[in-house]
Amino acid sequence: MLTREHAIAEYDFKRRLILPDRLNVRDHAQYPALAERMLDVYRQGIGRRRRDLHRDIHRVFEDETECPLRRIDAFCKLLDDQAVYATAARRNAATLRRQVFRVAAQFHPLVIQKDSLFEKSATDVQKLIAGQLGRDWQEICDELFADVVEFHRLDSFEGYPSARPLLSRYNVAQIQASLFSAISMTVKATSDFKRILRAARLARLMHTITTPSPGMYQIELTGPASVLRETRRYGVNMARFLPVLICCTDWSMQAVLETRTSKWKMGLTLSSSDGLQSHLPSDAEFDSSVEADFYEKWGEEERGGWRLIREGEILHAGQKTFVPDFVLQHASGRRVLMEIVGFWTPEYIQHRMETLRVFRDVPILLAIQESSAEKFADAASHTSIVRYKTVLLVKQVMEVLSTQLNSDR
Amino acid sequence: MSSSTVELIFADGTLLLTGVPTEQLRDWFPQVLWAIDSRVGAMRCDAIEYPHIADGLRQRRIAFNDSLDQPREVRWKAELTCELRPEQTDAVDAWMNGGQRGCVVMPTGTGKTEVALRIMQLTNVATLVVAPVRDLMYQWHRRILKSLNYDAGIIGDSVFRVSPVSVTTYDSACIHMPKLGDQFGLIIFDECHHLPGQIRRDAARMCAARARLGLTATPERADGRHADLKQLIGPTVYELAISEVRGKSLADYDIVRIPVHLSDNEQRRYDLLAEEVSTYMYGQRQENALFSWEDLCSSSGASTEARRAMKAFYAKKAIEDRAEEKLRTLEDLFRLHARERCIVFAGSNAMARDVSLRFLIPCLLSHCGKKERLDILEGFAAGDYLAIVANQVLDEGVDVPAAKVAIVIGGMSSSRQARQRLGRILRRSGDRRAILYEVVCAGTNDEKRSRMRRKHDSFRGTRRKPGR
Repeated sequence: MLTREHAIAEYDFKRRLILPDRLNVRDHAQYPALAERMLDVYRQGIGRRRRDLHRDIHRVFEDETECPLRRIDAFCKLLDDQAVYATAARRNAATLRRQVFRVAAQFHPLVIQKDSLFEKSATDVQKLIAGQLGRDWQEICDELFADVVEFHRLDSFEGYPSARPLLSRYNVAQIQASLFSAISMTVKATSDFKRILRAARLARLMHTITTPSPGMYQIELTGPASVLRETRRYGVNMARFLPVLICCTDWSMQAVLETRTSKWKMGLTLSSSDGLQSHLPSDAEFDSSVEADFYEKWGEEERGGWRLIREGEILHAGQKTFVPDFVLQHASGRRVLMEIVGFWTPEYIQHRMETLRVFRDVPILLAIQESSAEKFADAASHTSIVRYKTVLLVKQVMEVLSTQLNSDR
Repeated sequence: MSSSTVELIFADGTLLLTGVPTEQLRDWFPQVLWAIDSRVGAMRCDAIEYPHIADGLRQRRIAFNDSLDQPREVRWKAELTCELRPEQTDAVDAWMNGGQRGCVVMPTGTGKTEVALRIMQLTNVATLVVAPVRDLMYQWHRRILKSLNYDAGIIGDSVFRVSPVSVTTYDSACIHMPKLGDQFGLIIFDECHHLPGQIRRDAARMCAARARLGLTATPERADGRHADLKQLIGPTVYELAISEVRGKSLADYDIVRIPVHLSDNEQRRYDLLAEEVSTYMYGQRQENALFSWEDLCSSSGASTEARRAMKAFYAKKAIEDRAEEKLRTLEDLFRLHARERCIVFAGSNAMARDVSLRFLIPCLLSHCGKKERLDILEGFAAGDYLAIVANQVLDEGVDVPAAKVAIVIGGMSSSRQARQRLGRILRRSGDRRAILYEVVCAGTNDEKRSRMRRKHDSFRGTRRKPGR
């Protein structure tokens, strides 16, 4: 991630919006080529000092007429994030300094012109030390401050596969840097709830969930102390959450920012249609192959009036949430929640049981792997249960659905 | 709601209270900022309110389930042996009698640390000491070990070792307080003028400690936020002015300003760069009369010209900062004080390294590890090193005893920094006067900054030339 010092953003005071720096194909057509040159500096820079690498990155931009220094520094930071700098020389530097300074201290002050009072010149002492250490003075000089950050030497560069990912990373990183001043963030989404809520929890954010329209959830993310006052304290958590959100589909986000200079509140808006690319893998994962198989077998079509929707509903009570694997939506408007429980560790089953107990008012269809089935006996009161061996059959689920539908009538 | 039990929980640097009706709470504790937190179904407030709320509930004989970790009692393995000076004893008494909450304001070098150590010894409770930078954090660790024979925990500098007595930095305290806020009975803020930052103050707000001590020589802040210290720590319970101790606890001192000139070569480059900067600024002001450096630095669509002007500006500053003549003057001063301990303060890391390389004297910079710092400071105290150079690391409170000569060869213009540098060399030892040299480039911004620094009254009576 970048730091505040790298953040570049424009202020649209009319719309009260913050527009983080964003490179695009239309206005920044030359950037893929620049990015390639930057990557080359690092790829070919093994063994060079950080300061020299940064100097060369600045050189890449020499002829750019419109490019703020911060943008160049930001690129240096993003390249450094993917680089490993050597540590061996760093460890020895402090020892070397101690040796050199201890010897030199006996001759303090080291003068340029020696005289009757000060009989050793700086050069004499340098020679003396070099002799004692059995090394060339210039070599000693080079290593004396090898642990200073700008003198670290590049050891390896994992890099970015090509120019595009580096530029995408830059665009996301600038939004993250703006979010450091965020006091709240509101996400609207119609899918990928599990992923969003899990990422929010990992980023240590609290949520308030509402349903502005059927099938759409609004998730407001803040921190514990946010109810007491508006605070930027959790902005960094929101920045950390962002890359996961960008991987998801069909969402929009609005953050409220408090800028440093003015006490004005500004907005930052974003959505899945902005075409941002996250560096995280974007394909939605299934919790188990059973779940993936079942989803594939059911397909897109209606079966007996039922359609299968992935993660279509969020059950929530306080800070506890539960997103069942599927919602079965009937043409009549009826909805049945469905959760697939595979063979898992006792802890997992325990956790699932507790979740079901919290949401015991909500009828749910459980598909349970046979070996785990008896453990769910006492949770079964508000559930319908389908047992399966290795594969969950569409037929089994249909049977339960039709009996349920009939019994309700 | 009234039938349920009353419960008080420490949650992420805040308190959650359940079982008391909202209106009742607002009535009982009108000055507490309460929020109804529907996310968790409870009333929430800052952890700093803990003593107030716990005592208030007890007074009203409300049985409540207090699930905060109660701070542990500490049994010290050693007594504080050193004699306190009368003003130190006064400070301790004032704090103890002031409800164990408040700030002690004493000039640098008058022994704030001993005051704090005595208070720790008297309160016998789990204590967290918050220091501005990691050097000072380590210094507190050493002082606690030496005086009270307690190996304190360290929270910061990539270490997370929590003990009933721990030391930390403001930044780490702010980050970790949501987890640690209920473990300490006493929290000490060293150089507490750092606390009132908008986010940093969470270090005080998210902590439930009953006893609070703030230490500073310079409580006032340019942004006026020092007024908040009263709420975050407590009122000023003791204040000692520098004029009361000058020549008594503190050494008397002289300040000598030495102008140096740029070399012809440097001057030529300096003038070219200055020209470039002013041409650019002039051009901008033709379009916008109020255009300032801040505008240039924050402008996002900087053009090639803007970037060049900015680079020229920094190059210009670097010439002032690292003028060759400064190194030559430094040699003269080192010759003059050849048998005395000198501290050199540089305006940048690069200049500090220039000095270190030229004279082969240790430099205290941010890359120095705990071990190296200790070697340098102890070596200096023992007289093994007669001179050391530092950037801003030593600016506050790091003990450099027995140094009587300080040489400032660059730095910022704030008078706080200047006074703190001064404080370094003023610890009383014998009757010798201390001396502070300021080496500045004549006719540059360097000179302007020096003039700004000397506005404060501790700099009154400055001479222009070495008057020996």
